[in-house]
Amino acid sequence: MEQVMENKKPKFDKYKAKKLVITLLPLLALILLFVFYIIILNVNDYNIMMNLRSLLNQSLILVLVATGAIFIFTLGQFDISLGANALFSAVIGTLVYKATGSIALLFIICILVAVGCSLLNALIASVFHLPMFVTTIAMLSVLTALATFLIQSQGSASGTSYSINLPSELVDKLAPLDTPIFKIILLGIFILAMVFIFNFTKVGRKQKFLGGNEKCAKLTGISISLFGIIAFALAGLGVGLGSSMTVVYAHTVSTTTASSIGMSVFIAIVFGGMPINGGARSRIYSALIGGFSYNIMTNILFILFQSMEGARDGLVQVISGVFFLAIVFVASINYRSKNLPR
Amino acid sequence: MYMQKSEIMAISKFIKGVTAIALAGASMALVACGGGNSTVKVGVLVADASGDEAIGFKNYLQQYVAKEYNYEFVYSPQLDSAEQARAQAETFIGQNCKAIIDMADKNRGDLAQLCNTNKVYFAIGSGMMSDEDYNASKNLEYFVGQIGPDMVTEYNTGLAMGQYYKETKKVSKVGVYGAFIPNPMHLYRMAGLLTGLGDTYKGQSGQNIVYTVFGDGAQFDASNIAGDVTIDYCSGFDGEGAIFGRVGEIIAGNPDAFLSVGMTTTFFADMLDKANLEYSDIDSFTTANGAHMKTGSLKYLAGKYSSSLGPIFAAIKSAIDGKAIRLANGDAFSLSQGYWTAKSSAEFEKFQSADSVTNPIFNKTVLDTLIGASYDSFKAAVELDRTPQ
Amino acid sequence: MPNSITRNKGDLILEITNMTKTFGPVTALNNVDLKLYRGDVLGLIGENGSGKSTISSIAAGMQKADSGEMKYLGENWAPKSMIDALDKGIGMIVQESGTIAGISVAENIFLGNLNQFSKYGFINKKELHARANEVLRNIGIDNIDSSMIMGALDFQSRKLVEIAKVIMKEPEILIVDETTTALSQKGREILYKVVKRYREENRAVIFISHDLDEIMEVCDTLTVLRDGNIIRTFKKEEFDPDQIRLSMIGRELEGDYYRSDYDPTHGEKVTIELKNATVKGHMYGINLEAHEGEILGIGGLSHCGMHTLGKALFGAVKLDDGEALVNGEKIKNEIFATKKKIGYVSKDRDNESLVLSASVKDNIAIAGLDIFSIGNFLVLYSKENEYVKKQIDSLLIKCSDSSQVVQTLSGGNKQKVVFGKWIGCGSEILVLDCPTRGVDIGVKQAMYQLLYRLKKEGKTIIIISEELPELMGMSDRLIIMKDGKINKEFLRSKDLSDAEIIGYMI
Repeated sequence: MEQVMENKKPKFDKYKAKKLVITLLPLLALILLFVFYIIILNVNDYNIMMNLRSLLNQSLILVLVATGAIFIFTLGQFDISLGANALFSAVIGTLVYKATGSIALLFIICILVAVGCSLLNALIASVFHLPMFVTTIAMLSVLTALATFLIQSQGSASGTSYSINLPSELVDKLAPLDTPIFKIILLGIFILAMVFIFNFTKVGRKQKFLGGNEKCAKLTGISISLFGIIAFALAGLGVGLGSSMTVVYAHTVSTTTASSIGMSVFIAIVFGGMPINGGARSRIYSALIGGFSYNIMTNILFILFQSMEGARDGLVQVISGVFFLAIVFVASINYRSKNLPR
Repeated sequence: MYMQKSEIMAISKFIKGVTAIALAGASMALVACGGGNSTVKVGVLVADASGDEAIGFKNYLQQYVAKEYNYEFVYSPQLDSAEQARAQAETFIGQNCKAIIDMADKNRGDLAQLCNTNKVYFAIGSGMMSDEDYNASKNLEYFVGQIGPDMVTEYNTGLAMGQYYKETKKVSKVGVYGAFIPNPMHLYRMAGLLTGLGDTYKGQSGQNIVYTVFGDGAQFDASNIAGDVTIDYCSGFDGEGAIFGRVGEIIAGNPDAFLSVGMTTTFFADMLDKANLEYSDIDSFTTANGAHMKTGSLKYLAGKYSSSLGPIFAAIKSAIDGKAIRLANGDAFSLSQGYWTAKSSAEFEKFQSADSVTNPIFNKTVLDTLIGASYDSFKAAVELDRTPQ
Repeated sequence: MPNSITRNKGDLILEITNMTKTFGPVTALNNVDLKLYRGDVLGLIGENGSGKSTISSIAAGMQKADSGEMKYLGENWAPKSMIDALDKGIGMIVQESGTIAGISVAENIFLGNLNQFSKYGFINKKELHARANEVLRNIGIDNIDSSMIMGALDFQSRKLVEIAKVIMKEPEILIVDETTTALSQKGREILYKVVKRYREENRAVIFISHDLDEIMEVCDTLTVLRDGNIIRTFKKEEFDPDQIRLSMIGRELEGDYYRSDYDPTHGEKVTIELKNATVKGHMYGINLEAHEGEILGIGGLSHCGMHTLGKALFGAVKLDDGEALVNGEKIKNEIFATKKKIGYVSKDRDNESLVLSASVKDNIAIAGLDIFSIGNFLVLYSKENEYVKKQIDSLLIKCSDSSQVVQTLSGGNKQKVVFGKWIGCGSEILVLDCPTRGVDIGVKQAMYQLLYRLKKEGKTIIIISEELPELMGMSDRLIIMKDGKINKEFLRSKDLSDAEIIGYMI
């Protein structure tokens, strides 16, 4: 073939720059928020290490679950049962840990149960040709009911609730894991593993392609059900790690454990720049960036509005909502302002 | 990605611009933040700060106690789980709170340990830990103690209600709302109510009813109720039509009264007022409940009053001032505080006006007698029946 | 538009002066002037990126120019949107899909105007469907019922609905943007009838097409654009294909357009075949073989079943009877087909062959992951980049770099990306459904040369096409289908005549 058009290297491609800025925007926002947070803590003479520790604890479980869940969101799917799965696997893990005293088993069981429940979602959807979202709704009810039954029958009553509490000797055993250093290492290893799978393996590539256009992916020889199953399995891994760390941190499991995870996961990944419909522009680190950004932002807002008493919580929610909308808007801007007509 | 120098410059310009905005915002924060240096900060953990009862407590602390004693009470957002409560406690500790009052009931024993490790006082207001947790926490230096209706008090409150309706109102058939049974607090109240009405559960009465239900894996089955008073039972809340339909069925069965161990004034007051069916509840002395008592058919209310948090505050202040109130053996205290019971609108109004934000039952004069007091004086003051006459 | 407008043949109806439009670093229109007169069918032709679609889409209200003036019926013309433009008299039928899949045909036709059927908030569906059917019948569409859901229709039928929707408003100027590539012969005839009526009524038409034969047949005047500039305007009597091509490309087309040889020989080995294959409602009892080193053409009218046949060869459609085999093995599904080195290019490129939101690199690399990954698992970026670059270079895909999102490419370049996907991964058998749809002449020629080269390398190429010249020009064997069955087979020969072939199609 002959070259028809000569190659021109533009002096400055502001569209490439714009594209780079939009890609890096969530990271830049996180850095700025973090700097601002440190400044505010300093100004108020707060204990910075304690606040950072609290931030890590607020964010760790969310980021673990959300990072795994990104594989599901990349496909353009949604799993509403993440929280219920985390609760159920935490219950089983806690019971096993109480019975055996083995930390390894706590983690293994949490992960196995979580992966199993997650896979069940995908398998049922695949066998009965149901949308995956529908099976997750059913799973939410079933797992919540099972967990509640187990907590009420195996747990102890206290004040207004039932819970399965760890005895103090088992709590003490978990102490080395309930430290910032362990949590950072765990988070680091998990994120790296997920980044590796997402960006450097065929699995991640096919997931993104499938999320971008299911029909085309099918016609390129990509199995929709297989990659759906893989996505849910990886999400289950995140849930399992998250639920085991919940037990490590909270030392108890009750019916409200992991109750806010479902919605928080979605908020976190959107905050991190993940496109809502998944597909080719999905980013595996969205959960990490978004989870921490969201929590830093709400912490900042709570400090700033502390003196506003009754209006504080409402204001924080409104401002968080506005930020959320702004981020979704920015993330959806195309690199080119207009498409070339074909 | 290969980048031109001009691209790098454009991006760094962008970053500089945003940083400038951030720093401007930070200096605004400088102005906005910062209170008086001598103000003592106390964090308050809540599961829900929007209910009437919670607002009553909050008003008392923030609008009365804070002003009288130069304290600052910082409330948590709504806490749904134990891990959220723990993270919030860590945040409070990081924000230099000298003490934390827990009203969220999310793994209290664990929080007591956390606060103790970080040398922050921990107290429970308007509630109790489990016995197990209390025994594990009572010798922690920074665990101040707990004041609230214990399970015996809850049982007795239900018992009084049942006895009143059996002996005074002479009921033979009642509708009963079990709130969130098997929630232990509601279960204890229910056990008292059934016993007061002279009924049994699986042949058991008294607190044995609770143990029987625990033994059944915390499953409460109303078909196990027997006795002279016929009971049409429901419990739970689904937000949808089902529970309202069920309550409607109960009302249509023409019971003599509708007795509740909690939450009825929140969910079903309008239905019951409209049906003109007398009902009872265990809740608090709020304006809304006052209206139901005055113009509706709420005829019996056992409730908490807002300044009942006074004593736990006094205990916290004592500890912070270096005069901690402890048991003789050095343990943290656990004291019971009961409910007021209003059986008429006039009585309700009397109770409500007896405990206002401007003139609470536990006002400064009373609180000053509690701060730094001996344990015995403190105990007597807490357990004193302060029902307005 | 009111019928009281005076329509005199030769009156100036649309004037564009000094129009410029850029998309980032790309200049789509460069100080262009254009005049359109009543009673004129003006053809716009040019390679992809020449500006022909840009100028007409600006006139139709799809987007705004950076600078320049437009006058319509003597007044300044600045439509707010396509709907606004259509209401005021300029309507455009776009190249790709302009309808909404999830609602009915009738709702699509009256989109934005459903209130006229509404009473107390309820839509009178009976009346809506009746009126919509009337609109369809008025332009000669009699095989579509307006109560059908749009998504259930095939691409051509959706396009016909779109035409009906625009014509219903009776715009003074009709812009047809490469619509005929989606249509069968019957569909084209419907459209040509409309164009003829517009000419006779002294309205005006802007007709954009790649098909030189068609455009010379249909149009009165022909303007050639290249790289955002008007190169030349030809009057009917000046129409000369070579001169037009020269204006379009800026150089003579060297070498053959299709193949120069008439040698239909190929390898002996049967690589892919259908045995008594049936898909109810589409094709019946098809027996077909293709060999290594063979270009097998399959032609027919749009609904003859050939598109389904293409899918069947790729395992993308379930056979009700019979089987599809590759090298003697049954083709179970698409996954199996790709493992056996079959590549498939769909007619509906944007929806079935590409992930529009993904980059050129992602779209090309996806089929070749096994080639540049280690242990069937780990993707090596450097090898992947090399792999993709090879395809971009050899197919001359015009893009800023491999990370460019495919959605922003022109039609021809998109098609090249699809080719690159299947050629890069070493497909031995290529099933190509309308492979040159919406592609420039220059690129078409290059594609034909590529296909011939692949044939010489021993690959099996199956071309399914509605363009008879293309099939005649490229096939070793040409199979004609009609009503779901194979009607006739022709061997490549100099003496083959299109009249004879068409006789077996209709």
